[in-house]
Amino acid sequence: MNEIKPTQSIGVSKPLVDGPEKVSGKARYSSDFIPSDSLVGRIYRSPVSHAEIIEVDISEAQALPGVKAVITGDESDEPFGVLPIARFEYPLARDKVRYKGEPVACVAAVDVETAQKAIDLIKFKYNELPAYFTSEEAMAEGAVNIHDHREGNIERDVEFDLGETDEGLEAADLIMEETYNCAEIAQVQSEPHAAIAEYDIERDFMTVRASTQVPYYVHKMLAKTLKMEESKIRMIKPFVGGGFGCRTECLNVELICALVARAAKGTVRIVISREETFITHRGRPETDIDMKIGVKKDGTITAVDFKAIQRGGGYSGYGVVTILYAGGLMFGVYDLPAVRYRGLRVLTNTPPPGAMRGHGTTDVRYAFENLLDKIAIELDMDPIEIRRKNLLQGPKYETLNEMFINSYGLPECLDWVEKESGWKERRGKMGPYKGLGVACAHYPSGASKPVNWTGEPHATVHLKLDWDGSITLLTGAPEIGQGSTTMATQCAAEILGLDMSRFQSLTSDSKLTPKDNGSYSSRVTYMVGNASIDAATNLKNILVEAAAKKLEVKPEDVECLGEVYRAGTQDEGLTFNEVVQAALEGTGTITVKGNYDTMPESWGTKKYRGGAISGSMAYAYAAQVVEVSIDPDTFEIKVEKVWAAQDVGKALNPLSVEGQIEGSVWMGMGQAISEGTLYVNGLGITNNMLDYRVPTIVESPPIEVGIIESIDPHGPFGAKEAGETSLVAFIPALTNAIADALGVRPVDLPVTPDRLMELMENYEKTQEAAE
Amino acid sequence: MEYMPNFQLHRPTSAEEAVKLRSEEPEALYVAGGTDMIVNVRRGIEQPENLIDLSGVTELKTITEDDEGLHIGAGITLNEIATNEKIKADYQAVAEAAAAVAGITHQQYGTLGGNLCLDTRCLFYNQSEWWRQSNDYCMKERGDICHVAPGGKRCFAAFSGDVAPAMLVYQAEVELVGPEGSRRIPLSEMYQNDGMNHLTFNPGELLTVVHLPKALAGSPSRYEKARIRGSIDFPLAGTAVRLEMDGKKVKDIAIALTGVNPFPQIVKGTEDYIGKAFDDASLDALRDNVRKQAKPMKTTTVAPWYRRRVIGALARRLTEELAG
Repeated sequence: MNEIKPTQSIGVSKPLVDGPEKVSGKARYSSDFIPSDSLVGRIYRSPVSHAEIIEVDISEAQALPGVKAVITGDESDEPFGVLPIARFEYPLARDKVRYKGEPVACVAAVDVETAQKAIDLIKFKYNELPAYFTSEEAMAEGAVNIHDHREGNIERDVEFDLGETDEGLEAADLIMEETYNCAEIAQVQSEPHAAIAEYDIERDFMTVRASTQVPYYVHKMLAKTLKMEESKIRMIKPFVGGGFGCRTECLNVELICALVARAAKGTVRIVISREETFITHRGRPETDIDMKIGVKKDGTITAVDFKAIQRGGGYSGYGVVTILYAGGLMFGVYDLPAVRYRGLRVLTNTPPPGAMRGHGTTDVRYAFENLLDKIAIELDMDPIEIRRKNLLQGPKYETLNEMFINSYGLPECLDWVEKESGWKERRGKMGPYKGLGVACAHYPSGASKPVNWTGEPHATVHLKLDWDGSITLLTGAPEIGQGSTTMATQCAAEILGLDMSRFQSLTSDSKLTPKDNGSYSSRVTYMVGNASIDAATNLKNILVEAAAKKLEVKPEDVECLGEVYRAGTQDEGLTFNEVVQAALEGTGTITVKGNYDTMPESWGTKKYRGGAISGSMAYAYAAQVVEVSIDPDTFEIKVEKVWAAQDVGKALNPLSVEGQIEGSVWMGMGQAISEGTLYVNGLGITNNMLDYRVPTIVESPPIEVGIIESIDPHGPFGAKEAGETSLVAFIPALTNAIADALGVRPVDLPVTPDRLMELMENYEKTQEAAE
Repeated sequence: MEYMPNFQLHRPTSAEEAVKLRSEEPEALYVAGGTDMIVNVRRGIEQPENLIDLSGVTELKTITEDDEGLHIGAGITLNEIATNEKIKADYQAVAEAAAAVAGITHQQYGTLGGNLCLDTRCLFYNQSEWWRQSNDYCMKERGDICHVAPGGKRCFAAFSGDVAPAMLVYQAEVELVGPEGSRRIPLSEMYQNDGMNHLTFNPGELLTVVHLPKALAGSPSRYEKARIRGSIDFPLAGTAVRLEMDGKKVKDIAIALTGVNPFPQIVKGTEDYIGKAFDDASLDALRDNVRKQAKPMKTTTVAPWYRRRVIGALARRLTEELAG
């Protein structure tokens, strides 16, 4: 009897609960829903970058047999966008087109060939305007405004100066500065965007399935652009093949699909191509950074002064948040006594970027860590030591922008990578064309203030317990492959002491599951995990009450062992099913809910406008060491090995955490060495998986993962963010390793072999000239 | 993915039948593995009403050996070439080149014939219908201008097959079957320096067999390509080097290039090295000679100057390695 123990789920490596469907091919993604009566939707896209629309003549397309509907910007005059302050984008362009490939019209037809024929019959008349493909061109004197209400094509101009920056720089013994250009990158998630919309004309009811990370936001934007009651829409997120931020806001695809389905009075399916997915974009913006750091002789940072310019594309998207994150997230890794920031989000005639994994901070952190490394070399300091020198003085340290930091495992991360990589023994002794580099990073565990402020809790989880003793977990948290459903199940199972096999789950269906803001900014583990714990605790209380009544003891005397509830060790107790039966007496099926809300202390600073952005309940930390070798003839870069330590607070599922960290490293590697979109006159020339070079398994290095557990006091079982921080750390660790290997330091991203060869040759020339 | 347009698929079982079908439908295209062709069909670059699928032509799928040498059917897959013990032992660069094509799955489908007849490539050409239409097409396909060299009259689309240079250094010959019968020509004569029309085929001709001469069997060779990723990528620049030494002196040498011109080419002037020993100066001269003959244009996202630099460096490295 005494051996009975609650089943442990937290801290145990668990395969993902939705794994079997994916592995066996049974999982159904948006594009897999093909009702027999569904029509094919195809989008007519602008062939020009910037133009006033004179006319979109769809008459011939409409007349083509087999065409059920053709719609244009006339179909909806309601703009959409993720930020309430920046909704200027229409599902289909009205008045103007602002980037090549912007949707102008959509056809629904009986088959794809007819749809394409109809597309070919559309006549688009326009008056072309000057177009700007770089931030510099768009900001130039006399440039035409891409949006009337955004003078000079500036979407947002952010400024803050916290601490005494000028004094800090004056007090410095060494000031170094550098200018960085980081290419625009895309997620290249495995599933291109897809949507299927079923319009029920009798009930005026719309059901939409779409590949999205934010079904709630899509639901809201569907209602807005369709001008339908929110209650007349059902939004379902099926299996999704990766997000990484590319579908963290409502995209035009799902809105167009619903609009054309209503026009066609039926069901329409739109599955866009890889090229169109690139055009829909929402990746990381091209960013130009001027970084200046002042330090004392001993490496102590006295001030940071930096500027970031982001090429924001034709529409805002998350842009305002991105440019604010780029500034605010300078804080929180190191002890910075003074920071000055200027951030410009610029509108251009290119596809709009968005909130890609490592949102806002990645490029700026890259520049900072690259420059800090250079400073260490200049001061003849060990790059790990200069970082140690500037660590926060403990977790309760208050940053100038009032971050709420209650756990800080960065020192342990640095110790781990230093030891495991053999840093002290190997660095500087590896021979020519080989090197080691280090860098640090952090990332929030969800934005503490939601995009849509409604007063509702941040997260709500329902648990339904029925007569059969099974528990159904209902969550709106969008499972996009990151493991959120597994995580929520683990949290509930742990509280109840039950094996996870007692649980099933239902996710992201607006008619069944509670609302959730979505899978972005690494909010789900922290917020939904806590809500799941709350729900399970509430359920446990009900079960304990019922057991107490049955056992005729006080609730506080009942011991819950998961499958057995008993009153003391001598009691045989009740089985779980007996407790369930007792609990259901008189009430029937039990549904409990759990909520989570952030604490006001975490809502960011009021010292500057937009200071709420970067406020979070907790920050995860990473340190990474990268080992590289470089081919002396071709300058091809080989990442030999990576040591990635991340303070995730608590690894709820170590298997999943390892996967997230490895994936982060790998994605960071793409941005570092090979990825970048390129445009020729605004036409994306790398919009395919051959010319946009995501690393392959051949490039995938051995990755040693070091999980550091600082146990965050407010996190679910102490957990924090696990899926973004390590991406941010990889990029500077890589360039710092290259600098160690070659003596020449890459600045612009990606560090392709041709760029590296050019850098090396210029470096050799200056060396020769010096001699 | 762009949708697949409708076309009539023909499935002949002999080369003769394939050639006959082609002569009846002059606009028809031969398709073997389809790894490159089908992408172009989906993109509307090729708009065939008839496709002649060669996968059922078993006579193209044999490798035979006689006193003359090795005869490899054009339908042999790249994977079969990469793993064939005889080819690996006697014509090493050929096996290495086949193993360097795209990724392993492409090698399972892609054929020798397909790789040798690969269409030339250019950033402004290998794009979707919408893309090319938005960019006014180009002289290689439906348009008038060249976006790589505006104002120019020539097309610079780059030949990007990996296997051709390896075959060229072994003086391979090819069998072409057409309505008028078959002919055998050196592989080098199958190509010409024109990105729009880089194959010298007569109308309707089909490549059936590649002959590798016995005289050169076992002659040491290597193939290497520069690329950004270790898989998938076409060569930014690729080179095959065959080098036989007699003690310290060069007995025979051949170098061929791919990815840097509209056709795979044999580097001229290598006979000057015969009878001499290599030193740093002569290796540098070889490298510079290779660079001079490579004329990459802006047909990829990677800078032409880099491709020229790197092809010289690779040729030098392989030569030095083979010289021992």
